[in-house]
Amino acid sequence: MATQVTVKILRYDPEKDKKAHFETYTVEADPLDRILDVLNSIKWYQDGSLTYRRSCAHGVCGSDAMRINGRNRLACKVLVRDVGGDAGKKIQIEPMLGFRILRDLVVDMDPFFEKYKSIKPYLINYEDAPASSERYQSAEDREIFDETTKCILCGACSGSCPPYWAGPDFVGPAAIVNAHRFIFDSRDQGAAERLSILGEGEGVFRCRTVYNCTDACPRNIPVTKAIEQIRRAMLYNR
Amino acid sequence: MSTETKTTQHTHPDPVARTTRRWTRSGGRPRPTGNFELFSWYFFRISGILLLFFALIHLLIMHLLNNVDVIDYNFIVQRWASPLWRTFDIMLLVLALTHGLNGARVLIYDYVHSRGWRTFAVTTLYVVGILFIVLGAQVILTFQPQIQSVAK
Amino acid sequence: MYHKFDAVVVGAGGAGLMAALQLVGKANIACITKLYPSRSHTGAAQGGICAALGNTEEDHWEWHMFDTVKGGDYLTDQDAAEVLARDAIERIIEMEHMGLPFNRTPEGKIDQRRFGGHTRNYGEGPVRRACYAADRTGHMILQTLYQQGIKENVTFFNEYHVMDLLINNGRCVGVTALEIKTGELHTFHAKAVIFATGGFGRAWRVTSNAHACTGDGMAVAYRAGIPLMDMEMYQFHPTGLYRIGILLSEAARGEGGILRNVNGERFCERYAPTLKDLAPRDMVSRFIYQEIKEGRGAGPNKDYVYLHVDHLGKEVIDAKLPDITDFARTYLHVEPYKEGVPIQPTAHYAMGGIPTNIDGEVILDEKATVLPGCYAAGETACVSVHGANRLGTNSLVDLVVFGKRAGLKAAEYCQQNDWESLPANHEARSKELLGFVNAGASDGKRTEIAGDIRKDLQNSMQDNVSIVRNETGLTAQMGKLQELRERYGRLRLQDTGTKFNTERMEALELGCLLECAEAATKGALERKESRGAQFRDDFEKRDDVNFLAHTLAYRAENGGVKELRYKPVVITRFEPKERKY
Repeated sequence: MATQVTVKILRYDPEKDKKAHFETYTVEADPLDRILDVLNSIKWYQDGSLTYRRSCAHGVCGSDAMRINGRNRLACKVLVRDVGGDAGKKIQIEPMLGFRILRDLVVDMDPFFEKYKSIKPYLINYEDAPASSERYQSAEDREIFDETTKCILCGACSGSCPPYWAGPDFVGPAAIVNAHRFIFDSRDQGAAERLSILGEGEGVFRCRTVYNCTDACPRNIPVTKAIEQIRRAMLYNR
Repeated sequence: MSTETKTTQHTHPDPVARTTRRWTRSGGRPRPTGNFELFSWYFFRISGILLLFFALIHLLIMHLLNNVDVIDYNFIVQRWASPLWRTFDIMLLVLALTHGLNGARVLIYDYVHSRGWRTFAVTTLYVVGILFIVLGAQVILTFQPQIQSVAK
Repeated sequence: MYHKFDAVVVGAGGAGLMAALQLVGKANIACITKLYPSRSHTGAAQGGICAALGNTEEDHWEWHMFDTVKGGDYLTDQDAAEVLARDAIERIIEMEHMGLPFNRTPEGKIDQRRFGGHTRNYGEGPVRRACYAADRTGHMILQTLYQQGIKENVTFFNEYHVMDLLINNGRCVGVTALEIKTGELHTFHAKAVIFATGGFGRAWRVTSNAHACTGDGMAVAYRAGIPLMDMEMYQFHPTGLYRIGILLSEAARGEGGILRNVNGERFCERYAPTLKDLAPRDMVSRFIYQEIKEGRGAGPNKDYVYLHVDHLGKEVIDAKLPDITDFARTYLHVEPYKEGVPIQPTAHYAMGGIPTNIDGEVILDEKATVLPGCYAAGETACVSVHGANRLGTNSLVDLVVFGKRAGLKAAEYCQQNDWESLPANHEARSKELLGFVNAGASDGKRTEIAGDIRKDLQNSMQDNVSIVRNETGLTAQMGKLQELRERYGRLRLQDTGTKFNTERMEALELGCLLECAEAATKGALERKESRGAQFRDDFEKRDDVNFLAHTLAYRAENGGVKELRYKPVVITRFEPKERKY
């Protein structure tokens, strides 16, 4: 079943290259192989210097977000046959836009995590918790923020967002998604703080409703909808 | 123990923390803008919906129901004889300009990052915008029909 | 570069983060991780975390303790199992207070569901004990603990690969680590070091483990003279996606999913009449092995069976098992609403690891002599609370219960003890190792490719040290590992860069895998009995006379296992009995 797959990868080595450039590889792959398997096969048997992040290999750790044929995807959640690699189509792989490239497909995630931290991504509750039992929450209340608890902080949404590319200070969709997860948690009392952070110039109003984030999210989180819900919360809960 | 804690933490800063300063160029979080961004966003939506109606009616009257060659001085005189149409046109002018200005402002904020240039660009935009609103409003509000027969 | 922290936590998964949180405010702490904290493999855990909360039906921690001991085929230290079952309740409540979004019962309490091997009243039938957040419980635990770390301003060193454990005058005094981004070697001088570096599932071909699970912490400790305990006890999870091994949680069976062979028969009934599909993992994996061996496997090679959830209905699947059904669709293009998902057992969890006592203190021998200042928790540690076979969800319980205990003990240690100096030439061993790997890029005689060695390791471990083992296979594997170690000595490197050299990192990881594999194989070879995950077809019976004991493997100075010793099992409440379900 194995076929020849052609992959074009944007390479950049800060110790050697002045500019990033494409290199093309031909690899033997199964149509059901993941793009990550293809990258591994290049790294292990053709070019050991090819650099990318990876860990879980099944879309839950968020390490291997990259641009595959122009769209942000997790390399471990796209199969060769999903992008027609087995039908002779060339697969193009680049690092995500909107981030500084460290090497090849590895980008600097530190600013991204700093933005995540800036929205206070932890439960804020000023009352003492019950001594020996959980805080109660109805199943309906739990359901409200279910979607946004799925975020794995891979950065695919932020890296696909035109305002994020344009504005280095924009907190970006990932941080907003995580703010949503707490703002709509009935146990949380920090909504006002977070809404005021997100109401600033670099918060939710930077969003231009492009929907790239929703398309890019490997966890199928309705990101744009979450952003809209936060804006509505600002408007109606004043 | 606790003093030791503090000093060591400062001499070995979190490698992540170093990059914090990089992304907030202006030093620290951007200053709160109050509710301006919220109202700007809300205004966008409201003005957008209103403009849809205003612009469509405008289009209908000026281009579909009346051919361009019937639109002359007299046409305007007749139209602006009614305060209703003057109000309509004022609304159209103000809404279209503010909506557009807001859009341009947002673009400036997206793509002009240096504080100086941003202030310059936004100031220019506001000056030009206000100028057009004032000029347009002056025409609409102060227009007095001249006697047409003399001209003929 | 030199750093000085009271305590250093190596690893930022569930156990590492939980430990770090205990040190906040009591000690100056650093948390080193070779990924970013949110990428840790705790996040891949799916089904749930057990505690006898009794939210949906009667339950008691004693029952949980019993299940843990019996599930571990009585190799479990019972003092540890008691701590696990008791503390689990408080830890779940604590994490709920931290914000963990558990699924809820109609009255708003934490919802609980069934899980393999967890029973009511000492084995009468399945009990609802697993607290869960859809089928991403581990993800929510990891996120919640990381969020608390952010809140408490824990100092993280992300993408640092641990190289060596430093010991001086009989005390643990720190670690060295390689900063992946720059290639720089860092020394972390500390009073206390907590290892929470996870397992080594990448030693097998079909595994549910992340690429990052390469037993780094175990290998580093092993090289520093600390023994590894019960390494032969390696769990194969029954339901990995066919061919690639991605985990399909036991929650699928907890919610009513069933396993069928090629004839559509629910074969677990035949082997375990009471618990059926919810028998412990070692057993279900063997049932599958047996079905395939006897020709009742499906597919062209007759080498898988089916996991069916189609009869549960769309609503249940979408609400409670969304992620794992998504895996089936993404990777196999199979629609679980309508058809069975091809599965096969997958290498999943190390019951063994760095030996510790119930407070997470690392011990050095069968008399439980403590190495002061050194702690371990989570999969990398062996308390031993899982014995010869871990029950589903108990890994997450282990992380938070023993992560917390190790953190608290380390905090106490930091407050009571003064600084010990670093040993002379503290970077020597790390530099030697780095020098060896780096030389692969310039030395023309170094021709071995890491990919080949890794593939050979994984294939041979899969063949010889998996669900069913025997003398012949294990002996052959010892030879194979010897050969692989020699080939590793001639490892080639193509990447000469210093910055973000992941080829070098993978080479280091491969070295760690080889160490762990060797300890596991040797332990399995010498344990001439069948118990839990260790099933020998040449010794099919459990042998409590000779092997009711933990294996301690010590490393020889220049590689290989020097000797095995045996540490008695702690038995308090439950006398060993035959295990039937």
